[in-house]
Amino acid sequence: MTEAATISEAVSRPAHVTDAVFYDFDLFHDPGLVADPHQRIIDLVENAPPVFWTPRNGGHWMLIGHKANFEAARDFEAFSNEMVPHEQLQAILAQMPPDAPRIPMAYPINLDPPLHGKYRVPLQGVFSPRTINAIKDSIRELAGEIIDQVVPRGQCEFMAEIAEPLPVKVFLNMLGMPLDKLPEYRALVKAHLSEIQPDPSKAMQRLQQVAAIMRDTLIERRDNPQDDIISMLWQVEIDGRPTTLEDLENYGVLLFIAGLDTVMQGMGHGVRRLAEDAALQEELRANPDLISDATEEILRRYTFTVPPRRVARDMEFQGVEMKEGERAMLFLPAADLDPVEYPEPDRLDIRREGKAHIAFNAGPHRCLGSHLARVELNVLYEELLARVPSFRLDAARPPRFHGGHVIGVEELNLVWES
Amino acid sequence: MKVRIDKSACVGNARCWAVSEELFPLDDDGYIQVEEFDVPPGMEELARRGARACPERVIEIVEDDA
Repeated sequence: MTEAATISEAVSRPAHVTDAVFYDFDLFHDPGLVADPHQRIIDLVENAPPVFWTPRNGGHWMLIGHKANFEAARDFEAFSNEMVPHEQLQAILAQMPPDAPRIPMAYPINLDPPLHGKYRVPLQGVFSPRTINAIKDSIRELAGEIIDQVVPRGQCEFMAEIAEPLPVKVFLNMLGMPLDKLPEYRALVKAHLSEIQPDPSKAMQRLQQVAAIMRDTLIERRDNPQDDIISMLWQVEIDGRPTTLEDLENYGVLLFIAGLDTVMQGMGHGVRRLAEDAALQEELRANPDLISDATEEILRRYTFTVPPRRVARDMEFQGVEMKEGERAMLFLPAADLDPVEYPEPDRLDIRREGKAHIAFNAGPHRCLGSHLARVELNVLYEELLARVPSFRLDAARPPRFHGGHVIGVEELNLVWES
Repeated sequence: MKVRIDKSACVGNARCWAVSEELFPLDDDGYIQVEEFDVPPGMEELARRGARACPERVIEIVEDDA
């Protein structure tokens, strides 16, 4: 298939979308985005309106500027995480036949405050910086083992051989999930994230599959608690009541989806940059103390997640007319490259100070796993730079990328002198 | 110098804490524990850096009148 053939059909433009805020961009299949994501994102920052409507993928808003993203992320009354309003969804579910298989919900990411908080609070301690710092050494050990396997070979396909196994193993270990089902999990997540126009019935089926794979482990941990997240979640209360199997399935679906794909793509973008930037590699090898600052600056320069929102009411947002029920994408990768906030945004400056990025989003839905992600990225860069000599891209096999809600690296071939 | 934090708007990024655990203590959930405090002498620059590190922009530095 050619690139052009994969671009989604354009839908007709609603009357309230003016020429000034119309821009044709396919979040999933834009050829430039797929060829070199952040180069295309810089182009959008420079040439697209800060808030625009694209006719692709059913038609939706794109928030490009930092101000637009920051305000929308924090204004949960205007920009809802409930893609179907909660009451409406409950009404639909109530009409299902009683023996129909249950549909798990990715709580709390698809809830708005105040209900959001009731489901989020039990998870916060589990993912707090202190809890995560306590498992840093075990993450480092796992990273070292995985990297050492490829070092003598002088080359690797980074995504499949390092970026995928490391965070997924860490996360499944934390949860207490069996590792032998890894390929099955990955296939489900990939299908979930790559679907261009999510088909609601397929999406629900997939979440049911995710829950079904976990169910044995959930029940087993209820009866035989161990030192893992699932066991911990059986002990907590939601809004004053004990958790149920339904709650655990909902949490499982959320953590499963959020934990398997995101940090892996963060590693892909960061290591691609390191592979193309020998000077940066040398600087960090000589001064490992700078790696944590580099981790932050790489997150800013290569922000890669695009959380969706539902416009909750007719409104004017930063001078743009929006209608209730429309979809808006928080295009965080562009927000973190906004020159208003970050002078010379395309320059990776590990000594940049004084401007915090929003790679983990802003507002109440700030990435719950951000502290885990930071530690994993930091440890991965440290161990990779310590164990692998100067590495570069394999010129014969250039990297490949994908668009979507998690802009990612499909393939990243590295070579070095072994 | 004073630090004033809009505690209810903290979303748990913990970037201030990464700058100074002493100035910006967290609760068990990883959210900021303090609302307003005087910066001990010699820690002014850390306080400023901690405030700038907040992605949510809820930490305000109140400089002493000159």
